[in-house]
Amino acid sequence: MIIDVNFVGLIIASIMASAVPLILASCGELITERSGVLNLGVEGMMIIGAISGFALMTVTGNLIIAVFGAMLAGVLISTIFAFLTQTLITNHVATGLALTIFGIGISAMIGKNFVGIPGKEFPILFESLKDTIPLLSPILFGHSIVFYFAFALPFITSYFLKKTKIGLIVRAVGDSPESASNQGINVKLVRYACILYGGAMCGLAGAYLSMIYTPQWIENMTGGRGWIALALVVFSTWNPIKILIGAMIFGGLTIIQFHMQAVGVRIPVQFLTALPYIVTIIVLVVISRDSRKIRLSTPSSLGKSFYKDN
Amino acid sequence: MNTNLKISNVTKIYPGCVANDNVSLEFNSGKIYALLGENGAGKSTLVKILSGVIIPDEGKIYLNENNLKLNSPLDAKKNDIGMVFQHFNLFETLSVYENLIIDSNEQREVLREKINTIMRKYNFSIDLNIPVLNLSAGQKQKVEIIRCLIRSPKVLIMDEPTSVLTEQETSELFLSLKKFSEEGILIIYITHKLKEVMELCDEVAVMRRGKLVSVSEIKNENIESLANKMVGQNLKTIKKKKEKSSSDQLINITNLNFISEDPFETNLSNINFSVNRGECLGIAGISGNGQSELFQVLSGEIISDKNSIEFNKNYIGDLNPQERREYLMAFSPEDRLEQAAIPQMAIFENVALNNFKSSNFFNNGLINENKIKEHSKKIISDFNVNTNNIELKSQFLSGGNLQKLIIGRELITSPDLLICFNPTWGLDVGAINYIHETLIKINEQNKSIILISTDTDELLKLSDKISVIHKGKLSKIMDAEEVTSEKLGMLMGGGN
Repeated sequence: MIIDVNFVGLIIASIMASAVPLILASCGELITERSGVLNLGVEGMMIIGAISGFALMTVTGNLIIAVFGAMLAGVLISTIFAFLTQTLITNHVATGLALTIFGIGISAMIGKNFVGIPGKEFPILFESLKDTIPLLSPILFGHSIVFYFAFALPFITSYFLKKTKIGLIVRAVGDSPESASNQGINVKLVRYACILYGGAMCGLAGAYLSMIYTPQWIENMTGGRGWIALALVVFSTWNPIKILIGAMIFGGLTIIQFHMQAVGVRIPVQFLTALPYIVTIIVLVVISRDSRKIRLSTPSSLGKSFYKDN
Repeated sequence: MNTNLKISNVTKIYPGCVANDNVSLEFNSGKIYALLGENGAGKSTLVKILSGVIIPDEGKIYLNENNLKLNSPLDAKKNDIGMVFQHFNLFETLSVYENLIIDSNEQREVLREKINTIMRKYNFSIDLNIPVLNLSAGQKQKVEIIRCLIRSPKVLIMDEPTSVLTEQETSELFLSLKKFSEEGILIIYITHKLKEVMELCDEVAVMRRGKLVSVSEIKNENIESLANKMVGQNLKTIKKKKEKSSSDQLINITNLNFISEDPFETNLSNINFSVNRGECLGIAGISGNGQSELFQVLSGEIISDKNSIEFNKNYIGDLNPQERREYLMAFSPEDRLEQAAIPQMAIFENVALNNFKSSNFFNNGLINENKIKEHSKKIISDFNVNTNNIELKSQFLSGGNLQKLIIGRELITSPDLLICFNPTWGLDVGAINYIHETLIKINEQNKSIILISTDTDELLKLSDKISVIHKGKLSKIMDAEEVTSEKLGMLMGGGN
C-alpha cells in the first residue's frame, strides 16, 4: 500500500485544527487558574463565544467584528463571574457551574434564529504555498489566523508567566494572595484581569468552532470541549507546553477514532469514542509525575476566595 | 541622617475589642526599640498600622515631621518603612530571586547587583534560584529582610521574628539587626520574649490590653520587672520538683520507621525510646525535622507497624487515634485551630469530638447534649478557660484559652499518657505558666507526658529526659539534669 505523504499531512493538519479550540480555552483558563481563580464556566464561555461570533458574522457580515465580538462576549460573561467571585466573594465552583448552565441556556435561546444558516468562508493564509513542500505544506500553510495564533499561544503564555513582571505577579497572587496584598499588589485587580482574559480566550475558542472549524450554529456545539480544556489545565499541571501536547493527543485520537469507525475496525464504538479522553489523561498524568514540579506549578490558592479585612 | 518616627494618639477599635487605645510613641534612629506585650496586647495591630496593612480609626503617624498617609502597604514602602511579618509574606512556589524582585520597578540587572551587594555585606548566603519552599525558616526570614533592604528603608519593623528560629539563627539575626542599627536604620522589634529584649534592645515600650503602659530604657529594667509590667501582676516562677521517677515502663517504641511519599515531609528512621510512668520525655529540635511526623505516628494519624508501639503491655501501632484514646492515651496537636479543634463549632461540640465509649455522649446515634454541656462546663471551670459561654464558637477563644480547653478536654478522662506538640506555641506568659503548671501536675499524679517542643527553655523546665530529633532521627536519650541549652542547640543543628 502506498501512503500519500500529502494525505498524512492533511490528517495531521486536521488533528491540529481540532486541537485549536482546546489550546485557546486551556491557555486562557490556565492564566485564570494561575492567579488562584477556578472558573468552571469554560464550557459556558465557549458556547457564548460560539453563538456571538456566528450571530455577529451573519448580522454584520464582518469577520473582524465577529471574532472580536465573540471575545468581547466571553469577557462580558466572565465579568459576571469575576464580579460574583471577587467582589461578592461567592464560591468559585458553584459560580462557575452556574456560568456554564447560563451560557448553554442563553446561547440556545439566541441561537434559535441562526439554526440552519450557512456560515461564511473564513480567509486562510499562505494559500499559494499549499503545494510547495510534500507532507509539511498542508501542515504549515493554508490555515486561518486563529489557527496560527493558537499554536503560538502556549509559548507566549509560557514566556509571559516565566519572564515578564506581570506574569510573576499573576503567579504570586495565585501562590499567596495574602502575601501579595501585603506587598501592595492589588489582588482583586489582578484576578479580575485574569478572569477576563480567560473569558476572551474561551470566547475566541468558541468563535473558532462556529466560524472556522464547522461554520454553522448547532445548539450545544461545543460538545464538552470546555470540560476537556479544564481537564487539560489540571492534568498538564498548569504548564502551557503540556497543554499543547495534551490537546494534540486528544485531537489526534478524536480524528483517528473517526477514521477507525469509518474503516469499520471491530472495536466497540463506545470504546473508541472514550479513547481520546482516557489516553489524554493517562499521558498527561505520566508526563507530569514529578511531585516536586507539581507542587511548584500548582497555584496554592486555587479556588479559595480572598478578601481583605481592615 | 537621623530618622524620627512618631505615633500620635493612634486608636483602632474592633467590634468588642479596643486593639489600640490612644497610643503615642516616639522612636529615633540609632537605637533598637522593643515593643513588648502579651498576645492580644495590640502590638501587632500597631505595627500593622505603621506598615499600612491596617488603617487606624484615629491618630497620626509622622516620619521626620511629615504626616504620613498609610492607606496600603505600598504607602509604607514608599515612605521607607519596611516590615518583616511574623507569618512570612513570601511566595513559596516562586524562586528566591522572584520573591525579591516582585515589588520593585528597577531594572533586573540593577536589582541583581543590589541583592548581591546586600548578601555580601551582611554575609547572607542563599541560593537565589531555588524555590522559597526549600528554605529553612531562618533563610526565609533573610529573604524578607533582603526584600526590605533593597529599598534602603529608614525604618525596619520586625514582628516576632524569632518564633521560628533556632538559637544560632537568632543570634545571627541579632548581629545583623545591630549592624543595621549602626548604619542608621531605625529598628522596632516586636516580641513577647523578655530574654531577647534584654539582649538586643536599647529601649522598651510595654503594651497591655491595647494601652501603652510604660516606656523605659533597658538598663533600668530586668526580666522580672518587664514580665510584671507586661502581665500587670506579679508572676510566680514555676519549678518542677525532679524526683526519681518509677521504673514502671508505660510506652515503648521500638524500631519505628515512617517513609513519606510527600517530598516535603521528613522520613522517620529507626526511632527507639521508652517512657516510664510519672515521667516527662522532652523531644527537642528545629521545626521541620520530623516532629510533626513523629506526633502523627504516635497519635495514630499515621498508622505504623503493630509491634512498633507497645503501650501498657498492648501493641497498638496499627490503631487509629480514637482506638488509642480507649487505651488512655491523649493528644494535643500543634495547630490548635486546624488539628485540635474545629473553629466554626461551639466549645461543647468540640468537646464532644473527643468521644469515648465510656463518655456516653451519644445515645443510640443521638447526641446527648445535656451530658456534653455538663462535661464542657466542668472542663471550663477545672481548667480555667476564660469564658462562661460553652456555645461560643471555638475560633473566638484566644490561643491561651483554646489551648487550656484542648488540654482540659484531653485530661478530664485522666489518661495515662499525654502527647503534646508545642503546647505553648504563640501563647503569652500567663497562659504558658498555666499550661506548664498543668503539665507538671500530670507528672505528679504518676501520669506520663511526651512533650515535643521547639522551645528549649520549656523542655529544660518540664522534662525528666530529653532527646533531640534531627532529620527524622532521634539522638540518644539524656537525663534532663545533665543537659544544657547549648548542648541541645548543638544537637539540634546536627552536631554531636
